[in-house]
Amino acid sequence: MAPPITPVAPDARTRAARQGLHRGETRSALLYLVPAGVVLVGLLAYPLYQLVVISLYDYGQPQAAGAAPLVFLGFENYVSLLGDPRFWDVLAATVLFAAVCVGGSLLVGTALAVLATRASPWARKLLFLAALGAWATPAMAGSYVWLFLFDQDFGLVNEVLSTLGLAVDGHSWTFGRFSAFGLVAGEIIWCSFPFVMVTMYAGISAIPREVVEAAALDGASATRTATSVLLPILRPLIAIATVQSTIWDFKVFTQIYVMTNGGGVAGQNLVLNVFAYQEAFAGQRYGLGAAIGVVMTVLLMLITVVYLRIRR
Amino acid sequence: MRFRHACATVLVVTVVAACAPPQADNTGDQGGGETTGELTVWLFQEASNGPKEAVVDRAVAEFEQAHEGVTVNVEYLPVDGRAPRFNGAFNDPASAPDVAEFGNTDLAGYAASNGFADLTADLDAWDEGADLVPDVLDTATIDDKVYGVPWFTGTRALYYRTDVFTELGLEPPATLAELTETARAIRAAKPDLYGIAVGGKYLFALLPYVWAHGGDIAERDGDAWSATIDSPAARAGFARYAELITPDICPPAQCAQLTGSQSVAAFAGGKAAMTIGGDFNRAAVDEGAVKGKYGVVPLPGTTDGQIAPAFAGGNLLGVLRSSDRRQLGWEFVRLLGGKDYQRAMYDAMGTMPTFTDVQDGIAGDDEFLVPFIETVQAGTRFVPATPAWTQIDAQAVLPTALQQVATGELDVNTATSAAAAEMDAAFAG
Amino acid sequence: MRRRAANAACVLIAAAVAFPLYWMVLAALKPPGEIQSADPRPWTLAPSLDSFRRVLDVQNFGLYFVNSLVVALLVVALSLVAAFLAAVALTRFRFRGRTVLLVMLLVAQMVPVEALTIPLFFLMRSFGEVVPAVGLNQLGSLVLVHLAFSLPFAIWMLRGFVAAVPVELEEAAALDGASRFRFTWRVLFPLVAPGLVAASVLSFIHAWNDFLFARTFLISGTDNRTLPLGLLVFFKPEEQDWGAIMAGATLMTVPVLVFFVVVQRHLVSGLGGALKG
Repeated sequence: MAPPITPVAPDARTRAARQGLHRGETRSALLYLVPAGVVLVGLLAYPLYQLVVISLYDYGQPQAAGAAPLVFLGFENYVSLLGDPRFWDVLAATVLFAAVCVGGSLLVGTALAVLATRASPWARKLLFLAALGAWATPAMAGSYVWLFLFDQDFGLVNEVLSTLGLAVDGHSWTFGRFSAFGLVAGEIIWCSFPFVMVTMYAGISAIPREVVEAAALDGASATRTATSVLLPILRPLIAIATVQSTIWDFKVFTQIYVMTNGGGVAGQNLVLNVFAYQEAFAGQRYGLGAAIGVVMTVLLMLITVVYLRIRR
Repeated sequence: MRFRHACATVLVVTVVAACAPPQADNTGDQGGGETTGELTVWLFQEASNGPKEAVVDRAVAEFEQAHEGVTVNVEYLPVDGRAPRFNGAFNDPASAPDVAEFGNTDLAGYAASNGFADLTADLDAWDEGADLVPDVLDTATIDDKVYGVPWFTGTRALYYRTDVFTELGLEPPATLAELTETARAIRAAKPDLYGIAVGGKYLFALLPYVWAHGGDIAERDGDAWSATIDSPAARAGFARYAELITPDICPPAQCAQLTGSQSVAAFAGGKAAMTIGGDFNRAAVDEGAVKGKYGVVPLPGTTDGQIAPAFAGGNLLGVLRSSDRRQLGWEFVRLLGGKDYQRAMYDAMGTMPTFTDVQDGIAGDDEFLVPFIETVQAGTRFVPATPAWTQIDAQAVLPTALQQVATGELDVNTATSAAAAEMDAAFAG
Repeated sequence: MRRRAANAACVLIAAAVAFPLYWMVLAALKPPGEIQSADPRPWTLAPSLDSFRRVLDVQNFGLYFVNSLVVALLVVALSLVAAFLAAVALTRFRFRGRTVLLVMLLVAQMVPVEALTIPLFFLMRSFGEVVPAVGLNQLGSLVLVHLAFSLPFAIWMLRGFVAAVPVELEEAAALDGASRFRFTWRVLFPLVAPGLVAASVLSFIHAWNDFLFARTFLISGTDNRTLPLGLLVFFKPEEQDWGAIMAGATLMTVPVLVFFVVVQRHLVSGLGGALKG
């Protein structure tokens, strides 16, 4: 699935508001805000609160189904979660996996954005069109296509490799921990680099030609121009793309769930989100699952703080 | 001042009341009496689902014929992913199906979640009910309440390819150790075949191994259960099974993720020389490439002439407690779980019926059943009959341990210790 | 010379990036025998609609398609109206707490909605007891959650577009005697259309792609399945019908692709001209 597009929207500072066109119209403002407000409070804020509440209870299947009384646990779910080596393993895997995906999308996206600035319009159009296709592909569809390409019996990749004499027949790409993670990362980078590319391309094309030319006239090499002239200008954009991708890749669910069949052999490919789902909805430990959700939210909020700083 | 105080009190009370997580109301009177509309039914998807669907379709047609204004909507769930579905159904009565097939291992857990309706009285009033095999009926009973009609029982035995064995001059193995050697020898001679198709998610193939070695996965002490999968005997069985999932027998890359029905499907597709399969898998195997080229013997034990204790499997048909069409649901269960359709299921699938007279009618003249009957007579065992088992199963504790060993991530001792710890945590509730 | 090299690289990379999509459509069009063959060819001489037929007739994919479409379009329509109103309030009105609201809006964008699956599941269950149409197992529950998830960003995005409309326009309208309400709907709404389109693309994709919530909320019955769930059901580890899976994946991808390409120009303004050729 496509990561959310950051608004490089028209200047958001509102002249109207500053001019105070409608002073003191709190009541009508409220009226306009009601529909969105009701939805956001009811379906975002309240569930967030409930998430914390559930994480404080022993909330298993009999409790949820109303067949057993609720027991308040306090922080016991968190204690058992943080004391579980599996959790730390999953957390580490999530962080590393997200890092690889983010790094990959940034690298590919930026490189291709640079390439796009050097190409003729028709070639650039072609590249953007292809990227648009990858971007638009739903996570579910993309996951299956990649699985099919890497299928051990009928996949094209194994076929090509064995023709080249490189791999044994029937090699399973989803069996090894790293190979399975790598496959999923490949799919994710494939569908999320276009976002970086588009963002970076916009940034690079917005740099006045004179700046680059001036640097060249001053005798700066191409690399030097890139690192000391272009990079600083692009830094805010890179930061936004990084944080946005991090937020996205940190909570990936569909690709892992689908491509590794719910978390891989012996749960080796679990990431936090899938882990929480499996603990709660399959393993019946809703309280523990909620605790994982809280941990995940806190981590993402930390990233958000960074994000906000950058956008300021 | 006082007003403000009152306000504060109200606020505090509201917050505290809203504080507890929500609980479904599954305690009300059992089900409504609607007699028309859509009856939703969940059944399990088998290794080869065609024959089962044919029988069920017939029952549905007959049922719809007899009940005007009723449509029956059957959905087939993969056994492997059943946990979230059933949990969801218990969590939200409004979304639950009316009738469901479920495994006898899940009975305790489902009953503890108030999931299924008490059918004791209905069963008493049913003329065919008296002919149910008492031992089998026990597997549907908790605290003297019956929660389902036993639809069929299942025992597993060793399927092997007669053509392959003849060609290589092999005999069916007489012990589990020999089974490993035979499987290895076959794969060495025929690298295209798995020596035996078994999987990391095939719990009911693992259990006989543990039991045959004199171990068990857990033991009961009064009301309390404790895991014993880390005992030396259980570990020996566990290790013996785990060594099948190795490159020279059943390669982990392919087999670590296999479930029971996938193992059988691999055998049926001609990819394996042996598998552990149930009498209920007969149709699946006969539909595959190996029809007429296989035989079945009881799964051997650790010494010659011994039979490994089999898991006493069986599926039940129950009515969901939350169903608005309890009576209608019961009537459908009575039809599909009744003698006629049990017989039809046997003819189509090979599933063992649960009625004494129906069993008598088939056992005499079906040679296929002999190894399964021998297995049953040698004694069967069961998983811990406690609500915690459903959770242990849903958390895939034992399959995870198996897979960890199969991938070489952990050794048997470490993996079983970890599994025992997880099981004990679940037993402790 | 360098430009030519860049062009060549662009073409090659574009081909590589588009290849999985090509392979998907190709597999969906191949006759069954060719897919299961051990020697996959990158073309087919006998394209057939068999896989699509299997998917649409036997597996009821048409219904899942409609379900997904209904959810996504409802989310788009509702979120546009609510987001537009909120955006107007946040840009055109001055009231106390506006800044606080704006900050909260930013924070709301960052809430990992996936982490809320558990409480939302139980919340929808409670909703269902009052209004069955938005309870678990109903498409309404999916509409509600995706509405909530797409709102913060949609509001944020539309805010910029509303602010870009000159205040003088509103003053002129007021002079002509148009009511505030009339102005908002008759003048402002059409003027921010590009923003609406950009926001709607995101809401649509979010709802259309969702798998987690569909998997969690839709418990029983096959009539309410959305496309991702339908695809999941196909995927049987024993014997993959890759042709059907790829046909299903194609059906799921095409609308988004069409949507993307059609609104690309509008998206351009939404993205600050990033896609201009």
